[in-house]
Amino acid sequence: MKYSGITPAFVLSIFTALVLQLIPVSGDLIYWRPNFLLLIMIAWIIFKSDQRSIVFAASMGLLADLVFGSPLGVNILLFSLVGAVPLYFSGWLVYFTLAHRCLFVFLLVIFSELMSKFLFSIWQAPENYNYIFIVALVSSVVWPLFDILLRRIR
Amino acid sequence: MRRLLFVVMISFGLMAANSYTQWFKPINDVFETIILPIHWVANIPARVSRWSSFRVADSADLQMENTRLAQENLIHRGQIQRMADLAAENLRLRLLLNATELFLGSVLVTEVIGVSPTPRRHTLVIDRGSEDGAYVGQPLLDAEGLMGQIISVYDSHSIALLITDSSHAIPVQVLRNGLRSIAEGTSNYNRLRLRFISSTADIRAGDSLVSSGLGERFPPGYPVGKVIAVTQVLGANFVDVEVEPTAQIDRSKHLLLVFTLDDVGVPGSLQ
Repeated sequence: MKYSGITPAFVLSIFTALVLQLIPVSGDLIYWRPNFLLLIMIAWIIFKSDQRSIVFAASMGLLADLVFGSPLGVNILLFSLVGAVPLYFSGWLVYFTLAHRCLFVFLLVIFSELMSKFLFSIWQAPENYNYIFIVALVSSVVWPLFDILLRRIR
Repeated sequence: MRRLLFVVMISFGLMAANSYTQWFKPINDVFETIILPIHWVANIPARVSRWSSFRVADSADLQMENTRLAQENLIHRGQIQRMADLAAENLRLRLLLNATELFLGSVLVTEVIGVSPTPRRHTLVIDRGSEDGAYVGQPLLDAEGLMGQIISVYDSHSIALLITDSSHAIPVQVLRNGLRSIAEGTSNYNRLRLRFISSTADIRAGDSLVSSGLGERFPPGYPVGKVIAVTQVLGANFVDVEVEPTAQIDRSKHLLLVFTLDDVGVPGSLQ
């Protein structure tokens, strides 16, 4: 990661994602909340691919590990693998339409959820597969906010 | 690609180290202290919502609620009088049996200031820490029943693990007949599971479960849950017992920290 890329807008966006992630919700509503840290990471990689790399994705994963209280390394791996996909396609993704990027995020979140459930099965944690599509759907619905915001910053 | 491979290898190394050592606990502890102000900021919408609902309520509603609370208070005071009689009788019987005294000494009211941001981990952040006498392993209650126990204590806040977390287990007994078991969390806020209950055991839907006090972590006699289903799986030695927690695990805002007799005298606690 090039340190010149750490702008006030970048710091503010990460802080906002962190706050949104920590807002208390009760009961099953938690399954409807998108992973804001993951979404902001994807958005920065798509729109600032020249400044954000795998190291940035891994750093966001480390932050997620600490916030979620999950075993250190799980989200580093997850965020790096998920971040590698938009990084690979970053040259093309900016030319996609918003709807196509929403679909891309939908698929990416499904990949991320399946990957995380696979990783957590190592610790034999009970996993609920019923909400994968809901999380992906909600993520793709809120994606335009991230898209518009980051496009403007770009 | 080379960087990705490097990060993947580092991740697996961290996961392995995390599984078998406690090396990263200090990092987590420091981060929990750093993140507390962010929890506070994230809690602002809930506080504003509570504050506005209180301000918007008209005086007639408040008067009606006040009347209802006064009536409830009267009923509870009556029940407490009965409880005092039962507690005294219980104490006499325990003395006759030379049983160990496990009756609780006092409680401390605490407020939830944060919840785990992931459904995998059922934890709460509460606004009492070592400055208030909180300690690791301390039981936590709401108005309905047992909620969980404290797992990390900081100066002004603590983290509590809820009984529904998949890594939590609590010794319980059936109120009707004293049948002992262990209630495990399932990562579902509305379900606990009893393990290793024999198919011939006397347990049925509707049975109330209370903490048994075994293990001396939780005081005995607190409501834990109610059996909602007992399922016999063909060919299995044990039955599947599903339990609904009595406590409002995902809704309670104000909780009680329980101090045992050894802790009596903690400042701010109610006897």
